[in-house]
Amino acid sequence: MSLRVLPLAPESSPRASDGVLADARPCTLAQCRPGVRATVLGLDDCGSDEACRLRSLGLCEGTSVSVIDSRHAMVLDVRGTRLALGSALTAGITVQPHPAAQSTRG
Amino acid sequence: MSGEAVRESPASVLEPTAPPSNGDRSGEVLHLALVGNPNTGKTTLFNALTGLRQRVGNFAGVTVERVEGSFRTADGRRVSCLDLPGSYSLSASSPDEQIALEVLLGRAADGWRPDVVVVVVDATQLERNLFLTSQVIELGLPVVVALNQMDTVESQGLHIDVPELIDALGVPVVPIVARRSQGLDALMRACDTARRLPPPQRRFELAPAVQDALAPMVSRLEGAGFGASAARLEALRLLSVQHLEPHVADITGLDEERKLAHATLAQIGIAPPRLEPDTRYAWIGEVMARAVRTPVSGPHTISDRIDAVVLHRIFGPVLFVALMAIVFQSIFTWAAPLQDAIEGLIAAVGERVGAALPEGDLRSLVVDGIFAGVGGVLVFVPQISMLFLLIGILEDSGYMARAAFLMDRIMRRVGLHGRSFIPMLSGYACAVPGIMATRVIENREDRLATIMVVPLMSCSARLPVYTLLIGTFVPASTLPLGFGLQGATLLGMYLLGTLAALGAAAVFKRTLLKGPVRPMILELPTYRWPSLRTLGVTVWQRAMLFVRRAGTVIMALSIVLWAMATYPRSTVDPALPEVVQAERQLEGSLLGRVGKVIEPVVRPLGYDWKIGVSIAASFAAREVFVSTMGTIYGVGGSEEDTGALSDRLLAERHPETGEPVYTTLVAVGLMVFYVFALMCMSTTAITVREAGGGRLGWSWATIQFGYMLGLAWFSAFLVYQVGRAMGWG
Repeated sequence: MSLRVLPLAPESSPRASDGVLADARPCTLAQCRPGVRATVLGLDDCGSDEACRLRSLGLCEGTSVSVIDSRHAMVLDVRGTRLALGSALTAGITVQPHPAAQSTRG
Repeated sequence: MSGEAVRESPASVLEPTAPPSNGDRSGEVLHLALVGNPNTGKTTLFNALTGLRQRVGNFAGVTVERVEGSFRTADGRRVSCLDLPGSYSLSASSPDEQIALEVLLGRAADGWRPDVVVVVVDATQLERNLFLTSQVIELGLPVVVALNQMDTVESQGLHIDVPELIDALGVPVVPIVARRSQGLDALMRACDTARRLPPPQRRFELAPAVQDALAPMVSRLEGAGFGASAARLEALRLLSVQHLEPHVADITGLDEERKLAHATLAQIGIAPPRLEPDTRYAWIGEVMARAVRTPVSGPHTISDRIDAVVLHRIFGPVLFVALMAIVFQSIFTWAAPLQDAIEGLIAAVGERVGAALPEGDLRSLVVDGIFAGVGGVLVFVPQISMLFLLIGILEDSGYMARAAFLMDRIMRRVGLHGRSFIPMLSGYACAVPGIMATRVIENREDRLATIMVVPLMSCSARLPVYTLLIGTFVPASTLPLGFGLQGATLLGMYLLGTLAALGAAAVFKRTLLKGPVRPMILELPTYRWPSLRTLGVTVWQRAMLFVRRAGTVIMALSIVLWAMATYPRSTVDPALPEVVQAERQLEGSLLGRVGKVIEPVVRPLGYDWKIGVSIAASFAAREVFVSTMGTIYGVGGSEEDTGALSDRLLAERHPETGEPVYTTLVAVGLMVFYVFALMCMSTTAITVREAGGGRLGWSWATIQFGYMLGLAWFSAFLVYQVGRAMGWG
C-alpha cells in the first residue's frame, strides 16, 4: 500500500471509521461511519426529554452501539434493536469508538 | 426451548363471549391487562385471545383508543382483557403511554383495575423489553411474562433458558407464538397461578444512600394511596422525568421532595436522570448473562439486508412511490366491483321496501331520505376496508416505520416529524382514523399541526364528488404516455390537497404552533409477515366503526335533509311539466330558501342557488353533495345514478340568460372547493376530542373549519374569476 499524504478534511475532529482511524478518540456519534462500534459516553447535548427517551430505549451511558447505516439519518444497533436517530441527536451524543479490529462490516 | 411447549390450539378451549360491561367486578371475571413495547405482537396476542369479541372506545376523558375484549378459559371462567397502548417504559412521553401507566397503577378514570398484568415481550429483543418488564414487576400486581416470537428465537440461533429467566424475574414466564396461537392455554394457566403467588418485588437493591434519598418521596406517594412497591417504583422513575405527570402532579410536597432527592443524589455523585436506566440495565445485563445465549455472528441481520435496499438513497424513494401507487390503485380499482355490488344491493333493497310502502311522504322519506343518504355512504365501505388492509400490511410488516424514516426529510422541511406521515396517509381514506393516528406523535405542537392538516388530504368521501364532476365535465381524451385526462385531473386534485396540507403545516408550525422540530427517534422493527388474523380483525373493526357512523350520524342527517327539501309544501300548478313542478316545490322548501340566502355568497364562484344548497347540505358530510344534487335534480339519489345526473347537469340552463349553468370551469372550481373545504361533522367531532376536548378542542376545531373553508372559497373564486378573465368559461 503506497502512502500518499492526502490533504486533511476541513473538519476539526477526525471521522472514525474502521481501518481508517487507528487512534480512537472520543467523538460525536454523528462522526462515526457504518461498521463502527462505539460506547456511549454522554447524552448531555441531546436535550433532557430526548435523553430520557433514549435511555429508556436502551441507549444509555456505557451502552455499546454499532452504526448500521448513516446515509441520511443514522440507523444504530442498540441492544439488538434498530433505532433510527436524526442528525440533531447523533451530533449530541458523545461516544468512544472501539478499536477498528473489533468492528465488523457487512 | 422445545417446540412442544408451545403447541396448543386455543380454538377448542377459549370460547369468546360478549364483553362484560365496563368496570363489572361481579362474578368470577378475571381482568387482564396486556402491556408491552410497540411491535412485540401484543395486539396479535390480544386478537388470538379475544377474536372478534372486542369493543373499541376511548378511555374516559382522553382520546386514547381503548380496546377491550373478552373470552372464556378452558374451565369456563370469564376473562376481560384490555389491550394497553404500546410503551417502551412507564415514563409517559405521549398520551398513549400515560394511559398505560394510569391503568397499571389503578388510577384510570373509569376505575378499571387489572387482576393480572401480562407483559408481552419480544423474545428476540429481550434486553430492551426487560426494561419495561422490570418496571411492571414492581407495580405490586400479579405479573406474567408472555415470551413471544419463540419460533424466531430458535431460527436466529438464540437460546433462552426459560426456568432461569423465571428465577431471575420472579414471575411466571410462558413461551408463546401469538401469530400461531401457540402457548395460550399455558399462558392462561400461568395467569391463574400468578394470582396465588405473593406479589412480585423489585429484583435488585438500591444503595442504602440512594434509598435514604428517595425515602421522603416514597412516603409522600404512599400517603397518596400508592402501594409500598408501586411507591418505590414511582419514586425511582420520577427522578428521570422532566415534569410530574398528571396522576402524581397534585400530590402535595412530592415535587419539593423530588428536587431535594435530586440535590442529595448529586452530592453523592449520582446523576439523578441516569439512576433508573443505569440501575435497571445493569440488572438486565445480569439477567441476560444468566438466561440467554446469543449466537456469535455479525450484527447484520436479514432485516438489515432488506433495509440496505428499502432505505437506499435511490431505491428507497422509488420503492416508496411504487408502494403508494399500488395502494392508490387498489383503493380505486380493486374495491370497485365490491362497491358496485353494495350499490346494487342497496338499490334493490330500497326498491323492494319502496314498493311495499304506500305512495306518499313515508315512502319518500324511506327511499329518497334514508336509502339515498345512508346507501350513498355505505358504498365506501369496500374502499375504507381496502385502505385499512393495506395500511395494516405496511404497518405490521414493519415497512411503515421505514416510510416514516424516508419521509422524515420531507416532513422536516415543513416543520413536522416523519411520524406525521402515517396519519396523513390514513387521511386519504378518511380523516377520522387519520386524526386518531396522530396519537403516536409525542410532541403536542406537532400533533396539533398534524391534526389541523390531515383533513386536507383528499379522503374517500370526496371521491364521489370528484367522480361525478370529472365524469361529466372532463373529456375522456388521452394524454401522452397513455394517461387519461380524467385520471390526470383526479390525480391533480389529490396532489393539490397533499401540497396544501404540507403548506398549511408549515404555516401552523411557524405561527400558532411554533416549536422546535423534534429530532427523530424511531425504532425500525424487524420485518415480519403480517398476521392474517390481526389484519382481519383490524379491517373488521374499522369497517364496523364506519358503518355505525353511517347508521347514526348520516342516517339522522339524511332524514333532516329530506325533511328540509320536502317541507313546507307549496302549491304548484299541476299543468306544468313534472320536472318543473319538482323544482318549484324545492325552491319553496326550507332547503330552497336556505339556498337563496346562500346564493350571493357563492355567486362570485359561479354557482347558482342549487349548488349553494348542495354545498350547504354537505356541510355535515361532503358525500351528501352528490345525493343532494340527486334529490334536487329529481333523478333518484337512491341509485346514485350518476349517468342520469350527469345528463341533467349538462342540460341545465340559467333561467334568465339561457347559458349552461355547469361549465368545465365551474366544475373544476367546485372540485377545488371540495379539495379544501372541511365538510365533515365526524372530522370536526374527532378534532374537538383529539385537540384536547372542551373549549380548547372546540377552538382548534373552529380554526380548522374556518381556515379550510376560507381556503376553499378563495381558491374556487380564483379558479372561476381567473378562468373567466382568460375566456375559458
